[in-house]
Parts: sequence; C-alpha cells; structure tokens
Amino acid sequence: MWWYLGRRVLQAIPVLLGSTLLIYAMVFAIPGDPIAALFGDKPVSATVKAQLESQYNLDKPFIVQWLLFLGNALHGDFGMTYSGRPVSEVLAEVIPVTFKLAVMALIIEAFFGIIAGFYAGLKRGKLFDSTMLIVSLLVIAVPIFVFGFVMQLIFGVKLGIAPIVVGSDPSIPDLIVPALVLGLVSFAYVLRLTRTSVVDNLTGDHVRTARAKGLSDGQVNRRHVLRNSLIPVVTYLGADLGALMAGAIVTEGIFNINGVGNLAFQAVRKGETATIVSVVTVMVFIYIVMSLLVDLLYAWLDPRIRYA
Amino acid sequence: MPESPIALPGQERFVAAVEETPLADTGSFDDTGSPENQWQEAWKQLRSNWLFWVSAAILSVVTIVVCFPQLFTDIDPTYADLSRSLDGPSKGHIAGFDKQGYDVFARTIYGARASVLVGLFATLVVTLPGVLLGAFAGFYGGITDTLVSRIADIFFAIPLLLGALVGISVINNLWPNRGYWASIFTVVFALAAFGWPQVVRIARGSVLEVKNLEFVNAARAIGKTRRANLWGHVVPNSMSAVIVLATVSLGVYIVAEATLSFLGLGLPPGVVSWGNDLAAAQVQVRSGIRLGVMFWPATALAITSLGFILLGDAISDALDSKSRNRE
Repeated sequence: MWWYLGRRVLQAIPVLLGSTLLIYAMVFAIPGDPIAALFGDKPVSATVKAQLESQYNLDKPFIVQWLLFLGNALHGDFGMTYSGRPVSEVLAEVIPVTFKLAVMALIIEAFFGIIAGFYAGLKRGKLFDSTMLIVSLLVIAVPIFVFGFVMQLIFGVKLGIAPIVVGSDPSIPDLIVPALVLGLVSFAYVLRLTRTSVVDNLTGDHVRTARAKGLSDGQVNRRHVLRNSLIPVVTYLGADLGALMAGAIVTEGIFNINGVGNLAFQAVRKGETATIVSVVTVMVFIYIVMSLLVDLLYAWLDPRIRYA
Repeated sequence: MPESPIALPGQERFVAAVEETPLADTGSFDDTGSPENQWQEAWKQLRSNWLFWVSAAILSVVTIVVCFPQLFTDIDPTYADLSRSLDGPSKGHIAGFDKQGYDVFARTIYGARASVLVGLFATLVVTLPGVLLGAFAGFYGGITDTLVSRIADIFFAIPLLLGALVGISVINNLWPNRGYWASIFTVVFALAAFGWPQVVRIARGSVLEVKNLEFVNAARAIGKTRRANLWGHVVPNSMSAVIVLATVSLGVYIVAEATLSFLGLGLPPGVVSWGNDLAAAQVQVRSGIRLGVMFWPATALAITSLGFILLGDAISDALDSKSRNRE
C-alpha cells in the first residue's frame, strides 16, 4: 500500500514537469512584446523596458525561464501578472470560487444522476429508461453554452428568481444556476454509468443470493444492487471534480464569475505566461491528486482490489 | 430437458439411450455455412436496433447537406442585408435574419460543412496515431510502453479546453489571417493535440486484453512473426472499443469546436460555421429577442452531434456480447 502510494507519487512528478514544460513552450512561441503591449500607445524607454524584462525574466532563454518558474513555484511564488500582482494572490482569490462552483455542480450531478440512473437501470427498456437515455444523449450533444444562455434567460431574465450575472465573492444561492449548467454534461455521464452498473449488478450472484434469502425487492435493490453499483460512479465523481474546475471556463464566462476559468481565459488572451502556466500547473496538480485519491478510494470501496 | 434418468422410488432404474438425449445432437451440428465473425454478428445486431436506423437517417441527411448545401437553399450565406437585421421569418426566409442581416436558414445549412469537417478530421487525426501508439505500447510493453504511456499522461493531464485555447491563441499569433482550410486544421490540431491520449489508453487496454488470447498464441505457435501477429490478429480484434470511442468523439468534437468558437478562439469570423453563428447570437439571446437566431444553428448542431453519439451507442451495444447475451 505505502509502496504503491510512493510509486504513484514518483510517477506524478514527470507528468507535472512535462505538462508545465509543454504549456510553457507553447506560450513561449507566441511572438510579440508583452512589455510594449502593457504600455499601449505610450513609448517605452529602453531602460524601463530592460528593467521590466529582467524583472519578469523575459530576457532569459526559455528553458531557464521555465526552471526559474518551477523553482519559485516550489515555495509558492508563481510570479507576477503583467498588472503587477503576484499570481499566487490572484489564484488564492479565484480558486475558492471555482472550487465552490465545482463542488455544487458535483453534488447536483451526483444526486440527480444516481437517482435517475438507478431507476432507469431497474426499469430497463421501459419508458423512463428510454426517456433518460435520450435526455442524457441530448445533454451531451448540445453545447454547454447554449444551456447556459437558456437557463440564464429563463431563471435570470424571465422569472427573475436568480441573479443574471454573478459578481465577485458569490454566495451559494447565487451559484445554483451556474452549477446546474456546469454539472449538466457530467449528470448525463453519471446517469449512464449508474444505469449500466445497476444493470450489470442485477444479474450478479450476490443479488441472486440476496433474493434467495428472501429479502424484499426494496431491500435487495437498495442494499445489494445500489451499493455495489456506486463503486464506478464514485470513482468517476472523484475524477470529475478536477475536470469541472478546468471546464468552468464557459460557465464562468456566461455568468461572469470571477473564477479560475475566467482568469485562464483572460490570461490566454493577454499572453500572460506566468498566469497561464500557473493555472495549468494547479489544474494538473488537482487532476493528479484526485486520480490518486480515486484509486485509493476504489480499493477501499471494493475489497477485491488490493494494491501490493 | 430430458426426463431425469435418476430412478424414483418404485421405478426401474433407467438410463436413456444416447439417441434419446441431447447428447446425440453434438455429433451432428450444422457446420455447412461459413462461420460468422464478430463483425458480421455485430452488423446483424446493429440492424435490429432502431436507434441505429435513427442515427443512420440523421447522418445521411447531414452528409448530403455537407456535400451539396446548394440543394437546400438558393440564398448566399455570406450576403448580409443590414436593412433586414433581426427581421423575423418571412416568405423565402423561414428562419429570419440575424444581427448582420444574414439569412439564418442559409447559414445553418452552409455552416454544417465547417463543423462536420472539424469533427471528422479531429477524429481521424486523433485515432490513427492513437491506435498506432496504443498498439505498440500494449503489444511490446517494456520501455516502449513506459515511454508512450508517460508522454500520453502528460498530454492527458492538461484539460482539453484549456490546452486547445492556448494552442489556438499561439497559432493565431504566429499565423494571422489564414485561409479556410488552414483555419479548420488549426482547430483540428488544437483539439487533437490534447485528445489523442484517450485513444492511446483505450487502444492499449484492448491490445493488452487480446494479446494473450488463445488464437494469438496459436498464430505464434504456427510461426507468425510478432509484427504479423500484431497487425493481423491483435489490432483487428481490439478495434471495437476504439471504433465506439471514435464515433462518439466525432459528435463531441463538433460540440467542442462550437465551444471554442463561442470563446472567440475557434474558427475565424469569416468562416460560416455553427459555432460562429452561435457565438454571434449570444447578444440576442441575452436580451431575449429573436431566439430563432440561436435556435436554428443550435438545433442543427445538436441533431448532427446526436447522430454520431447515437451511432456510437448502437455500435457499442452491438459489439458488447455481454449485453447481447442478456437480452
């Protein structure tokens, strides 16, 4: 177990290094002069320019810039945005917002996805099952921003029961509609995963035994079918938290939420290397930690799996 | 079932003659027809699934629209009449006009081409190298596997949308004002760059499952080389999961293109595409006027992408023997 954990952590290091290098190389390939862009129409004196370039390490070769970034990132210094704020400060501001949004989306998708998937699986081939199948496919087939606008229009503009846009430091009720939008696609996947898993389990030996023992249908379904079916679902949900945080770009854009996605999007438009690479690093880090947790969770939920 | 050969109390002991038991059939089964392979069986299964026919119908129509858009409308999708900006539906213009005075229906018809091409090329660009690398990694194992898997992990760890955004903004800066095809391939490669590891993972997993099956060992025993074994037996028999993934991702990439265009980093505004029209329609939708401007391209996109996802679903059901046996 500890041996497994150690090996996984060691394996994660090259992934983290490689992905930051990759993004760094891509951003580095953007031509243009960020310092000149910063000053707009005003002329920049050569000394100021040189001073700023050395301050942001822009005068050094690419590999050195990357190594400097990594070295500083190790003690929490992610560099400066071009407007002069430390990236770590900006990240500390936006990550809690996106985290709140992603967790709310996760709760919504898990609640509705598991319940709907469970009943669809039990009533396989019936009307409810077919309806849910079509609904889940439709949700995957329509771009998320279309749902975003429709919900914004219905709940925000027409009914007026939810804020149309969310400002900085949003409260939980403010984020309900955005979380619905963000969780929609994953809801479809949770539903389908739960359904498949329930269908698989219904014919399992343990379920037959439970029925043979004389348990009522309700007890068999709840205790034996549902609980065993949740194993793949829970692991999917764990991995999805990272995906939701990274995928919030669109939702945050529509509802004007001051989160990681918006930060990343603005940074990409401005070519702000330090911010882009920091956001990607944080996202990759979350992804790696979550997939490790999910693997361990898997072993805990399913005693048949043991990591040597 | 034949009657129980075990004698009940009071009965004479009796063992049925072989001819009277089902054992007799085992010597005389019908082996005249050619054996059905996995694909023939899957095709039989597919034909009986109504969802397959729905998706086939959708995709046939989409194919015709993509190839011959002029059959469906006489209106030039790039002709803007500002005096008719946001006009409602009228005779000859069933979907009305958008903000710029373009005919919404004509743009929906002509927009199919760019969206479907992006989905199609992205799927091809992802699948071919993905299968190749996945097959090598799974089949040869060892250092090849470690190298391919770790590199795939690096790309997999970067979220698709975030990575594609960075990639496209880099290409936009290096090479502004590209032509139609160059713009399409920019989006294709940006999506493919972060989409291929998924194919590698699926292909590698299937190859690992197949490579130690009996028929592969048998082929090795009769002296087939490793390479002949890989391409002749292992890869063809581990394709089912990849085919399902490819079909579904075609739909998903079409949606992804629209999302990138919505963020302003997909196809350039000059290209007629659903993503661009949806992005342009957001202003109208926000203020709740003329929802048709978004409704038409959104519906067309949803139906097209649904067609591919349904097809993938139907293929997956047909190839999955587990669910087949349970029906």
